[in-house]
Amino acid sequence: MNGIHDMGGMQGLGEIGYRRDDPAFHAAWETRVHALVTALAAYGKWRALRPDIEQIAAAEYLRMSYYERWLTALTERIVKSGLASREEIERGAADAGLGRSVPALSADAARSAPLQIPRTELAVRIQPPFRVGERVRGANLNPPGHTRMPRYARGKVGVVERDRGVFALPDNDVYFLDPKPQHVYLVRFAARELWGADASARDSVYIDLWQDYLEPA
Amino acid sequence: MSGHGHDHDHDHQAVPSDPALRVKALESLLVEKGLVDPAALDVLVDLYENKVGPRNGAQVVARAWIDPEFKRRLLADGTAAIAELGFSGQQGEKLTVVENTPSVHNVIVCTLCSCYPWPLLGLPPIWYKSSAYRARTVIDARGVLKELGLDVRDDVEVRVWDSNAASRYLVLPQRPRGTETLSEAALAALVTRDTMIGVARVAPPGGERP
Repeated sequence: MNGIHDMGGMQGLGEIGYRRDDPAFHAAWETRVHALVTALAAYGKWRALRPDIEQIAAAEYLRMSYYERWLTALTERIVKSGLASREEIERGAADAGLGRSVPALSADAARSAPLQIPRTELAVRIQPPFRVGERVRGANLNPPGHTRMPRYARGKVGVVERDRGVFALPDNDVYFLDPKPQHVYLVRFAARELWGADASARDSVYIDLWQDYLEPA
Repeated sequence: MSGHGHDHDHDHQAVPSDPALRVKALESLLVEKGLVDPAALDVLVDLYENKVGPRNGAQVVARAWIDPEFKRRLLADGTAAIAELGFSGQQGEKLTVVENTPSVHNVIVCTLCSCYPWPLLGLPPIWYKSSAYRARTVIDARGVLKELGLDVRDDVEVRVWDSNAASRYLVLPQRPRGTETLSEAALAALVTRDTMIGVARVAPPGGERP
């Protein structure tokens, strides 16, 4: 979707706030949200929280801290997937008379599961539509839902640097729709192609793009 | 979601606006329902606070500096080479390592969210997830790097890696001069997180360049 999260190339978004020794977490609750997300992902009821993060209204998105967005999206996912009701969350207590579940992620599993290599590449043979070195153009796509195509690459011409193999199309897969397995390509875009003559002639931006995001150029 | 700011909170909200309280309430509900085991959460917190972090990435870099054969494998297939050192996991399914040289400087960003090589660097710092870093790095990498204290000469090519898809990226920084006699462990100690994101250079031992 053309949401606020698709920020590449925007200007006027304030300070970077760089600090050399900035820690990954700034408060104990942030680590707890991160852990809750991992523990609940073990139910397999959702593929990713990003689609929900992207649905946060732009003004709220910009106001919230990073882990506030996670917390908001996680809460939505918990309700939508039926793990708990909104009333239970607002009350902070479970409905009376419901039995207890068994947690999907045990403490033992928590020690090893996050360190296993997730297999996202699909063992499917598909004739690759593009070759390394071929020129490709970013398609003019404006889907209302999740996509991994940054809008600044639309209509821009780049060169295929690498074939990444076959993956599910996130635009469908995150909604449990037809995963449309297809090749992902690492594409190099010259900075001048993306940003015009003021950009450095030497510089470039590399993006991994699914076949559906590309057309021959 | 309430639009009330933190400086004038009132008690009429059923759900507290303070995220710390919201998380606490959510966790206790999920524990009550038997959906999460608090001991599992403790394990995960310890893992990402204390165990998985940039020291992993630094070991990969140091090994690549002293072992040309490992470096060749690392640049060809990052995931496999990094697994040789025992590092793998969430957000590390397809690791791509890009090498800084005297003529090429690489920098990593995720414009759409916060993609980052967790198994090697842990969780990202706040500035990496800031709107300004995400927005500006693709359109003005040199300006961003300069603001962060890194001047890149005009004759050096800057490559920006917008890592929001199938792969996660790590920069293999340049080995500083004067480190020929250092052990692998001493080399790893020089490598900071930000040098592996590509917003800093590795300083030689003792700080400033000779």
